[in-house]
Amino acid sequence: MPFAGNPSPRAGTEKVSFRYIFGIPPLILVLLPVTSSDCDIEGKDGREYQHVLMISINDLDTMIKNRTNCPNNEPKVFKKHACDDNKEGMFLYRAARKLKQFVKVNNSEDFNLHLSRVSQGTLQLLNCTPKEDNKSVKEQRKQKSLCSLGILLQKIKTCWNKILRGSKEH
Amino acid sequence: MDNILLLIKEGEFEDAELDDYSFSCYSQLEVDGTQHLLTCAFDDPDVNSTNLEFEICGALLNVKCLTFDKLQEMYFIKTKKFLLIGDSEIHVKLGGKNITSKKLNIVEIVKPEAPFDIRVIYRKGANDFLVTFNTSHSQKKYVKELMHEVAYRQEKNENDWMHVNLSSTKLTLLQRKLQPDAMYEIKVRSIPNANYFQGFWSEWSPTFHFRTPEITGRMDPVLLTISILSFFSVALMVILACALWKKRIKPIVWPSLPDHKKTLEQLCKKPKKNLNVSFNPESFLDCQIHKVDGIQARDEAESFLQDTSSQLDESEKQRLGGGMQGPTWPSEHAAITPKAFREDSPFGCLAGSISMCEALVQSSSRSPDCREGGKNGPHVYQGLLLGPGTTNSTVPTPSPFQSGILTLSPTAQGQPVLTSLGSSQEEAYVTMSSFYQNQ
Repeated sequence: MPFAGNPSPRAGTEKVSFRYIFGIPPLILVLLPVTSSDCDIEGKDGREYQHVLMISINDLDTMIKNRTNCPNNEPKVFKKHACDDNKEGMFLYRAARKLKQFVKVNNSEDFNLHLSRVSQGTLQLLNCTPKEDNKSVKEQRKQKSLCSLGILLQKIKTCWNKILRGSKEH
Repeated sequence: MDNILLLIKEGEFEDAELDDYSFSCYSQLEVDGTQHLLTCAFDDPDVNSTNLEFEICGALLNVKCLTFDKLQEMYFIKTKKFLLIGDSEIHVKLGGKNITSKKLNIVEIVKPEAPFDIRVIYRKGANDFLVTFNTSHSQKKYVKELMHEVAYRQEKNENDWMHVNLSSTKLTLLQRKLQPDAMYEIKVRSIPNANYFQGFWSEWSPTFHFRTPEITGRMDPVLLTISILSFFSVALMVILACALWKKRIKPIVWPSLPDHKKTLEQLCKKPKKNLNVSFNPESFLDCQIHKVDGIQARDEAESFLQDTSSQLDESEKQRLGGGMQGPTWPSEHAAITPKAFREDSPFGCLAGSISMCEALVQSSSRSPDCREGGKNGPHVYQGLLLGPGTTNSTVPTPSPFQSGILTLSPTAQGQPVLTSLGSSQEEAYVTMSSFYQNQ
């Protein structure tokens, strides 16, 4: 005869798993817009980007191509975040923060300075107040290869062009 | 209370010092490779900057602030760490204490480097001067677009600079806008084109000197050809005018009035060459001249005429045909019918030694019908001879002639006397015409 008072451990685990799978993620998805902040983008006329940021991005691109041969298949870099509509500022904000992680001692001074300029310059033009995302930071730390940097820089460039195109249309 | 008072005093001290420590800065990007240069100096050169320091904070890469280096009275910083986006603050410190501060943007105080290698080349075919110069900013990444200013002047004209603004590094100066054979000097400077980077004029480039060519006598080939042709045409016209002046041009431009004496001479000259026809009495000096002593009365002349009319015609013809024959002349008479004589004027001639021909000549010369030639010399008609020695003698004023036939009748001296026959106007007219016909 089974013990009535004591539930089976297997039934309890199933209940907990069900909550985590079907309960929390939707909650996160609902709350994600709350956690993300709107960013005000300065320099939408593109002067800072064209005369300063783009020069550093191009120089970094040249340096990366001279140092490594990146494969054609795109590594999983910054897949979670994209330069979606009305989220360009946030994307740039996160991308700029990620760039800082590519600054290394063994890089040349000019390389590091260009990285810093793109990162800091982008952040200076954005007025964002997001919360810290420790999990994403950990994930980003794994991807520090130059090829990843190159892809990230291209995404930053694409997003800036999208912002400038949008401002011209308006 | 005391603390508050202290703060006010410090504020007053700072306000007073701010006026004295005003400064200016300018930046030069990529002046040494990828390094940038920021230079600051006090506006008042008399400021005691012994313990003063300059510091820049903000808009820097990987650092918060940077300290300036000092060279004499200038403060400068050479670094790659300018962000080039956003404003920075420059602090003047005295012993670590901030005296004055100034907010500025590095990209708005850019002073480009001076252009160099300015040259002027004369292009003969285009008649202009090509001005070229170089700038180090063409190789830079940030401050690439500049506005240039070219200034040129004639060396002798001080403070008379001509200015030209351009964005490229080539300029064309037209030769016709410059003085020929003159020395010019030219220089250029630059400024950021104010698209994103702004700032101040650079220093002037080194001056270049050039000389404009002289205006040679070389003319347009077409103009030269026309000039030569015109000259030769004018010369040819002058030569032709000189050559044909007498024969063709003058008779048309200044026609000569026909001289009746000359015309008559020509008419007489033509048939017989040996006929000496002349109105000049000196040409008959070697001829025997019979004086005309007197003129018979009209009645005698008429009667005589009737008798000798037939003989007279024949003798006239002979005489006219033969011209002046001198001693062979018939001594009886000679009929002369001067056409120039007046019809009504009586023929008057003094008797005696005075020759009728002279009187005839004198009166004929004074006859109003003698219009041609205007010559007042004695006129000699054919058959009329002047007495010897009478050409130069004075002759009293004779009365006007009567148109008629003058006959020469011999006197006691053997000289024929010319008598007036008192012929009619028609006979005189006929005689003259027959005179012409015989010629």
